[in-house]
Amino acid sequence: MSFESPAPSGTPSRAVLARLRGVHKSYGPVRVLDLPELDLYAGQVVGVVGENGAGKSTLMGTLAGSVHRDGGEIEIDGKALVPGSTHAAQELGVALVSQEFPLVGQLSVAENLLLGRRPRESSRKVLVDRKALREEAAAMLTEIGLPPGSVNVNRQVRSLPVPTRQLIEIAKGWGREPKLLILDEPTSSLGPVEAALVLGLARRLAKSGGTVLFIGHRLDEVAEVSDRIIVLRNGKLVADLDRDEVTEDRLIREMVGGEIVHAKPKVADPGKPVLLKLHGLTADGLGPVDLEVRAGEIMGVAGLMGSGRSRLIHTVAGAQPATGGSIELGGEPYKPHGVGDGAAAGIALIPEDRKEQSLVLFASIKDNVTVGILRKISSRGILGPKRRRQEGQRIAESVNVRMQSVEQPIGSLSGGNQQRAIFGRAFASDPRLLLLDEPTRGVDVGAKAEIYELIDRAAEQGMAVLAASSELEELLWICNRIAVMNHGRVVAVIDRQQATKEAIMTAAAGSARAENGTGAVRPPAQNGAVA
Amino acid sequence: MTTQTLLPPSGSQPPGTIGAARRGNLRRLLIETPETGVVVACIGLFALFSVWSNTFHQTSNLQVVGRDLGQTGILAVGESLVILTGGIDLSVGALAGLAGILAAWFNVSGGMPAPLAILVTLVICAIAGVWHGVLVTRLDVPPFVITLVTYTVTIGAALSITSGTPITGTDPLFQNLSAYYVWLIPVPALIFVGVVVLAWFVLERTYVGRQIYAVGGNKEAARLAAIPFKSRIVSVYVVSSVLAGIVGVLTIGRESGTADPSVGGTGWELIAIASAVVGGVSLFGGEGRIIGIAAGAILLEIIHNGLLAVDVSQYNIQMIQGAVLGVAVLLDRLRARYFGRDRR
Repeated sequence: MSFESPAPSGTPSRAVLARLRGVHKSYGPVRVLDLPELDLYAGQVVGVVGENGAGKSTLMGTLAGSVHRDGGEIEIDGKALVPGSTHAAQELGVALVSQEFPLVGQLSVAENLLLGRRPRESSRKVLVDRKALREEAAAMLTEIGLPPGSVNVNRQVRSLPVPTRQLIEIAKGWGREPKLLILDEPTSSLGPVEAALVLGLARRLAKSGGTVLFIGHRLDEVAEVSDRIIVLRNGKLVADLDRDEVTEDRLIREMVGGEIVHAKPKVADPGKPVLLKLHGLTADGLGPVDLEVRAGEIMGVAGLMGSGRSRLIHTVAGAQPATGGSIELGGEPYKPHGVGDGAAAGIALIPEDRKEQSLVLFASIKDNVTVGILRKISSRGILGPKRRRQEGQRIAESVNVRMQSVEQPIGSLSGGNQQRAIFGRAFASDPRLLLLDEPTRGVDVGAKAEIYELIDRAAEQGMAVLAASSELEELLWICNRIAVMNHGRVVAVIDRQQATKEAIMTAAAGSARAENGTGAVRPPAQNGAVA
Repeated sequence: MTTQTLLPPSGSQPPGTIGAARRGNLRRLLIETPETGVVVACIGLFALFSVWSNTFHQTSNLQVVGRDLGQTGILAVGESLVILTGGIDLSVGALAGLAGILAAWFNVSGGMPAPLAILVTLVICAIAGVWHGVLVTRLDVPPFVITLVTYTVTIGAALSITSGTPITGTDPLFQNLSAYYVWLIPVPALIFVGVVVLAWFVLERTYVGRQIYAVGGNKEAARLAAIPFKSRIVSVYVVSSVLAGIVGVLTIGRESGTADPSVGGTGWELIAIASAVVGGVSLFGGEGRIIGIAAGAILLEIIHNGLLAVDVSQYNIQMIQGAVLGVAVLLDRLRARYFGRDRR
C-alpha cells in the first residue's frame, strides 16, 4: 500500500534488476514524477496503472532515457544509468516499446527493425549488409511469433496498417534482447490474437530472467499478465500490489484516490424538440448512422478505437465530408461543406487534441477565447483593444479559468484550465449543438469534475451535446443516453438507467469478437478501458 | 482497427489472379518510386528537343549541358541531403559565388598555389557548414534563418573582397578544371556524375546514409534508436557547403579564369531546391532518392537548354521553368492523394 512496503512476500531472494532512488521529474511547477524508492525484480512482469497524467509515461521515459530526469539515481543490473540518454539506456539493456510507434515510415520494415544498429551476423562496419539485414529482420518477426513471411520486410512501413506497425515496434524492442522491456500500452491498437501474442512475450521474458514493465489501459489485461502491479497517482507511487492482492475495484480505487463521485440521476426532458437528426448519414469509414439528439440532452458516443466515434463528430461538424444520408439541425436540412458552415449553423466543436487543434499556445488567453466572436465584438469591422480585453475577461471568468491576467499566454495554464477556456470560447458563440471529442483528455481528476459541470451547464442552457469519449466512466457520469459505435455504425443506444460498462462493452466489442472467432483467447470478463 | 487480425490470414498474399498481383506490384512501384515520372520526362524531353532542334543534340551543346550540371546539379545533390534531414540550405548559391572569389583571391592576391587556394576555400566552406549544423542542432535555429544569414553575409563578403571588380590572372589550373574534356565530356560533368554516384552509394549502401533518412523521416524515432542525429545533421550541412565550394571553384574556369562577383551563384539555390522537389524529395524530410534528384537536375537543365535551342526567348524561359515546377508539384500531390488511400 504505502511505497515503503517491503518487497512482495515470497520473492525475498530475487535479484533487483532496476533500482530507483529519489527519481523525480517536473514540468514547470508541476512535479509529474516523484519516486523515493522503487525496485524492480528480475523475472517479473510489473504492471503499471494510473489515470491519464499519473506519471506512467514519464516513469517509462526516465528509464528509457527519452525523458531527462531532474534528479535521483537509477541502477540497471547494478550499473548507474546516466539521465537523458537513450543510448546509455540501451547499452544497459533497456528497450522501450512506445505507444506512438516511433517508426520511420519511409524506411523499410527491415531497416526499422534494426534502426540504430547493425545486423549481428554482419562483419561490415560502414556498408549496409542488406542480406544480413533482411534475414535478421525476418528472424526477429518470427521470434515474436509471427508466421514466417507474414510481413514483407522490404515494404515501406508507412504502407502497412497500424496493428502491423505496432507489432514491428514490439519486434524491434524484443530484438535488442533487453533485460528490461518497457511496454507502453502495447495492445491498444491490436486485435485479441495479437494482444495475446504480446502478453505471451511479456511472460516469456520474465520467465527467462528479464523484467517487463507493462503499462496497460485495460485493467483485466494488466491483472492477467502481471506478477505485481504498481499504481501511480499524480506522479507518486500509491500502491504496490502482489498479483493475488489485485482486484479491479481496488485498482480503480487506488487510481482515482477515492475521488469517485456518484452520478446524480439525469433524465432528458422528453418534451424538448429534437435538435439534431441524422438519417442514414455516411462518410469515409462511417455509417450509415441514424441518431436523434434532443435539445438539452447529452448524448454520449462510445466505442473502441477506430469504431468511428471521432468520424461521427467530425462529419456533423463539417470537418469531414459526408458521402450520403442527411442531417437535420433544428428541423432544417444542414449540409456542411466545411467547419465554417457548422459554426454558422450554431455548432461548436471542441476537438480532441487541445494543443494541436484548439489553441494557439503562445497567444494570450484573451486572444484565444475571443477568436470565434471577433466579428460580434467589433464595431463596424474595427476591433477595439478595450472591448477585446473585456470580452476575454468575461468569457474566461464565466468558465472559472484560474489565471493571473487575460494577457498571459494560454500555454502557461494547466490542462484543465486550458480546456475550460476552450469551453468558454465555444459558449461565447451561443451554439445550439456542442460537439465534444475526448473532452477531458489530459486533464487531472479534480479538473474533470469542473468540466463535467460545464457540460451540464451547456445542456441546462438548452444545447444539445454529442460527446465522444474513450472513458466509459465519463460517459456514464455525464450522459443521458449513450450511442455505442462499432465498425462505423451505431449498434446500440442505451438509456442512462440501463447503461453499465458491461452493456456498453458488449455492444462495442460484440460483433468484433464474433468476427474474429477468437473470443477464447482472453477471459470473457470484458471490463474495458478504464483509465 | 482493434479487430484486424494479422496472424493467420493476412500473412499469405491475398487471393487473386496473377494479373491482379502484377497490377498491385506496378501500383506499389509507383507509390514507392515516385522517381519513375521524372526519369521518363527526362528521356521524353531529350528526345523531343533532339527532334525539334538541329542544335540541341550536337556535342558542343551537350557539353554546355554537362558544364551547367557541374554547377546546379552538384548544388542540388548537397541541397537534397540537407532537405532529406528536414532542413533547407539557402546559402549554397551565394556560398558558391564567394568560394569562386576566395579561391581566386587566395591565388592572385595571396600568392597561394592554386591547389592550396582551392583547399583553403573548401575548408572555409566546410566551416560554414559546421556553423549551420551546430546552430540548427544545438540552438534549434531554424535552418531557413541561419542559412539566410550566411547567404547575406557571403554576398556581402564577395563584394567586399573584390570591391565589385573581377579578379583576373588566376592559375591556369582553374581554367583546366572547367574547360578540359575527358573523351569529349567536360570535367565538371564528370564531377557531377562522381558526386551523384558517391551520394547514391552513401545514401543507399552505408549505415550513415540510412540514418540520414531515419533522422529526416522521424527524428524522435532516430533519437530513441540512439542514432547520433545531431552529427548526422551537421554532416549534411558540411557536405552541402563543401559541394557549394567545389561549384564555386569550377565557375572560375567557365569565366575564362576570371572570378567575377557579379556572376556569383545567387539564385542557384532555388534551382537546386527545385531540382530536389521535381526529383521527388519531400521538403518535410526523409523522402527522396538520389536517382530522382539527379534526374530532377537534368530535367530542369534539359528544359532550360532545350528551350534556348528551339529559339524560345530568354525572357520567357524562366516563366516556362516555373510552370514546369508547378506542374511537377501538382502531379506529385495528385499521386500522393491517389495512392494515399492505400496507406491508412
